[in-house]
Amino acid sequence: MDSLKTLQKKNRRNQSLIVWMLIAVLAMGLLCLFVGVSNMGFSDGVNVLLGGGTNAQKRILLNIRLPRVLAAIIAGAGLSVAGLMMQTCLSNAMASPSTLGVSNGAVFGANLSIIAFAGGFLSTGNNLSAFDVGANPYATSALAFVFATASVLLILGLCTVRSFSPNVVVLSGMAIGAVWTALTTILQFYATDVGLSAAVVWSFGDLGRATYETDILMAVAVSVGFVFFYTMRWKYNALLAGEATAKTMGVNVSGLRFVTLLLSSVITAVCVSFLGVIGFVGIICPHVTKKLLGHDHRFTLPVSCLMGSLLLLLADTASRSLGGGSALPVGAITSLLGAPFFIAIIFGKKEGHHH
Amino acid sequence: MILQVDNLHFGYGHQPVLKGASLTLEQGQVGIVLGKNGCGKTTLFKNILGIEKPQKGAISFGGKDLMRLRRNERAKCIAYVPQHIHFGDLSVFDSVLMGRVSYFGMKAGQEDYQIVESILRDMGLLPFAGRSAEALSGGEKQKIAIARAMAQEPKLMIFDEPTGNLDIANEQLIIRHARDLAREKGISILSSLHDLNQALAFGDKFFFMKDGSVKYEGGPEIFTPEMLEDIFDVALQIRQIDSKMVVF
Repeated sequence: MDSLKTLQKKNRRNQSLIVWMLIAVLAMGLLCLFVGVSNMGFSDGVNVLLGGGTNAQKRILLNIRLPRVLAAIIAGAGLSVAGLMMQTCLSNAMASPSTLGVSNGAVFGANLSIIAFAGGFLSTGNNLSAFDVGANPYATSALAFVFATASVLLILGLCTVRSFSPNVVVLSGMAIGAVWTALTTILQFYATDVGLSAAVVWSFGDLGRATYETDILMAVAVSVGFVFFYTMRWKYNALLAGEATAKTMGVNVSGLRFVTLLLSSVITAVCVSFLGVIGFVGIICPHVTKKLLGHDHRFTLPVSCLMGSLLLLLADTASRSLGGGSALPVGAITSLLGAPFFIAIIFGKKEGHHH
Repeated sequence: MILQVDNLHFGYGHQPVLKGASLTLEQGQVGIVLGKNGCGKTTLFKNILGIEKPQKGAISFGGKDLMRLRRNERAKCIAYVPQHIHFGDLSVFDSVLMGRVSYFGMKAGQEDYQIVESILRDMGLLPFAGRSAEALSGGEKQKIAIARAMAQEPKLMIFDEPTGNLDIANEQLIIRHARDLAREKGISILSSLHDLNQALAFGDKFFFMKDGSVKYEGGPEIFTPEMLEDIFDVALQIRQIDSKMVVF
């Protein structure tokens, strides 16, 4: 009986952790609203939130900082949960949101849009009048999304026809990813300096590209995915017992894998297409969560989401504070911030729930 | 008749493993599948359990066509105690609750918790309920896997080499436990075993497999030196000691 009580206590502790992390994310998000290069103090910020402030202050807070903070929360949660699901479905600790070649596909699509369609080729020269076609976030994002999704559908289609074993999925993801990277290299080889730099800068993740519209689109993808994942939490737990055993417990393993990989990849594709490549969140956050809480998806799903939001908020704030006027690429900061923490956790003594 | 397997064919790639395997098992019976390594025992189990899909043949369960049942309906009929047992790092309680997933789907209810608690109590596992299942010993893990299978409330339980990783004390414990399940709850058991004497002590019906099919099927009377030599390619003797049959 005592043992049951400890279990209930542990479950309650995990539930309260979810609540505390949610509070932390909200507090951090609020704090981030007040950090920036403009000389806007804390009191100015509060003033704007309460409906006052100058027009410039309103514009900075509501049109620049708020969409950016929301993007950090949404994309952080999305990339992190997508990573967790990839790792669970492929039984592979190294799997990440980009395992199915999503990011590479998105980068190729964006490069194609910027270099080819905006006239950034050496042969045609820098066609600056058409350049804003490539710089138009929607044209570039749309093409990035098309190639990211095409990449996923190609791999999932191939695997459905042939074999749906995790190793086959991972390896074909690597192969397709390499193809996109090769095509990107060839495009960049023929690009003008302006086209090339625009394309390279695009691939640096930047939360500053977020608008309310992109935030809504990302939020839709992430919420649909999360609701599905959370509904299936016990089925993912069953997968922990091994694929064969999960099948005998009534889980349609191939179907679950297919839908989960598809949703995780679409979440990643949407985030990467709008914001550029933000690496490592999808590896660090799920692993830190699993190390702290164990593998039970009832807890790892919400906690890794919140962990992702928190990391991206921290990274974005750091990138805006360190850049000296212009924000550093947030993708680099997530890795710089996350990696030492990650290594400390990996080498740390606590091994999940083992006693 | 609870289980009837008829002329089952299955192979991996172009390599056939099952070549027309058939067997029948009555309710409450303990059936033991024997044969050399690689004769298709595990593959036969995987086909019955729905882990693999038979290429030809039929399986009926309690008169119903098993292959036309939905996966979670199937899970309520047949449960599996695999050879290699994993629980992720869920607690013992949650690992056993896992067996209820075909009943509750999304969120476990009060009834599921009560069933799991009573199974754990019956099996003396309640003191471990909060511990991580993965961190326990081989014998305890085996018991938890049985408890998980019990939570499915199946009519047939399939054990794949249940004694493979156990010491002799735990071996006896697990075998007796499985046998009691059959005797007291009327759950049929289908198990593979290596030890012929253990099989004789434990089973009601025996299936000897060779080259992907069941070559001999029946009660202990089918044990003859000629049959055993045909199956295992080694000369064995059978003696009666205190009216018990012993193979050596």
